[in-house]
Amino acid sequence: GACRVSMSMTEIRAGFTAIKANIQSRDPIRTLSILSHPHSLHKVKSSDRCCITHLLFTFYVDKVFKHCRTEDSFVNRKISSIANSFLSVRRKLGQCREQNNCVCGEESTEKFKQILANYEGLNVTSAAMKSLGELDILLDWMEKSR
Amino acid sequence: EDALLPAPQNISILSINMKHFLTWSPVIVQGATVRYSVEFQGEYEREYANGSWIPILECSLTTATVCNITEDISATVAYKLRVRAELGATRSRWGKMKGFFNRVTTSLTPPLLRVLADGHHLLVELADMGPVFQFRLLYWKKGQESRVQQKVMREVSSVVHLDTMEAGAEYCVKAQTHIEAINRSSSFSPTQCVRAQGDTSMWL
Amino acid sequence: SGELYCSLPNPRNVRFESINMRNVLHWSAPEGTGDGVLYKVKYTVYGVGKWIRKPECRNINRTWCDLSNETSDYEEQYYASVKAFLNGTCSDWMETTRFNPLTDTKIDPPMVSVSSTDKSISIILTAPEKWKRSPEEESISLLQVYPGIRYNLSVLNKKTKKRWFFSISNNSLVVPWLEPGTAYCVSAQIHVTTPLLDSGFSKEHCITTLKDK
Repeated sequence: GACRVSMSMTEIRAGFTAIKANIQSRDPIRTLSILSHPHSLHKVKSSDRCCITHLLFTFYVDKVFKHCRTEDSFVNRKISSIANSFLSVRRKLGQCREQNNCVCGEESTEKFKQILANYEGLNVTSAAMKSLGELDILLDWMEKSR
Repeated sequence: EDALLPAPQNISILSINMKHFLTWSPVIVQGATVRYSVEFQGEYEREYANGSWIPILECSLTTATVCNITEDISATVAYKLRVRAELGATRSRWGKMKGFFNRVTTSLTPPLLRVLADGHHLLVELADMGPVFQFRLLYWKKGQESRVQQKVMREVSSVVHLDTMEAGAEYCVKAQTHIEAINRSSSFSPTQCVRAQGDTSMWL
Repeated sequence: SGELYCSLPNPRNVRFESINMRNVLHWSAPEGTGDGVLYKVKYTVYGVGKWIRKPECRNINRTWCDLSNETSDYEEQYYASVKAFLNGTCSDWMETTRFNPLTDTKIDPPMVSVSSTDKSISIILTAPEKWKRSPEEESISLLQVYPGIRYNLSVLNKKTKKRWFFSISNNSLVVPWLEPGTAYCVSAQIHVTTPLLDSGFSKEHCITTLKDK
């Protein structure tokens, strides 16, 4: 069956928009993307969408947010808001996987490996900040494929 | 921390319609102005960020005994809150709110609704309650309670057109709010009825 | 190229201005430089390794450059950069912030067409089209780019001065049971919930219902 997760994209999107310019200005590397190259999320098959979403939410929760602490209190509060929203959504996606509605195909596993390779290709703080700055790539893809 | 300055007590949250306020009892020191600072910790901070706490700037060194934490409680997870008193360089221990707060427990009140008839048109006015609110409106022709119609509205701005009415008929409307983020709805507002213009006589 | 030392002040406020995904790079001339400044432009797809020069914007003296063609894939994000030249010296390359055509464009209001009978008005709305290279190219409505589009409609009774709002998802609406021989003015706005994008309201289109038969 399909994996329908109600989530407040509006709040996550608003939180990111509020800090997008600040976060992206901390990422000087133009020539590398964590999420969109060489594989674009937009090429993911619909059957793999739930799995990739769950893998990516786990990626952000486990690896990204904790390394994005800044000297700016406003930015930190928005990151906390996004991180806690991701945690809440990741839990629901996990329930889908338990009910076997969120199967991981070979392609999505391969694509996620590439994302991890991109991430590990940088030092952890740069990789985390770049990943956070690319949140709109994830949100755009999720909204488009809703 | 200094034992001379007691930690704030009776720390609790007042949460209505997704607006969340932290309140506490004042720390009284004769002839002095005590200030307070507030911090929050979401489930993410507890489980993935070494239990770190995040200060709320607007409630740092405030003399008030209330803090609007709505902007920071913006995920449906369990949050912890703490407050400490400060007097010059002296700081109290952190006073911690008992247990957790999850916004899913916010209390929801029915929306403020005004129903109008303008000729054959059924119109409503709803008080705006913020971007996370949707409004679910149920309306029916009096006497045909079994044929209730529904409309869901997101943002509302002044007078919104609901439907057109049969001449002379009376229509009733009630509304409730729904919040997708916590998947909960308020109770319904009292029903209001209005009559469409025109007579109900039938051409035979 | 042969630029050794660039002491010219930098172009300022380098940014994309985008309407319906017509993406134009704009900037202000370097401070204190009069006429005669020329510019070069380059752009890059974020995450791809190379900067690409824009030939049509090489040695130009205007302070804008249309990069719609180069940034038309709205599943990508972009940076652009400008360099100034004057009397043999030059400025640094000055970059935009990261440009996401999907969220950073502005949307025009919908086109509104109104017709009337004696007691009703019919309204048809047309969402603007995404920018396209040439008139021959296939049109893409912004409806296809933003699936969650809704329309907010305002209908003003000029006699009673009462204004009603409608929120609809399809592009047409009939408002029946109106007063004959009365002027009604309609304006409409596009509303996208996520990403949050609102057009302005269109200008008002007024029409008078026919006199009672």
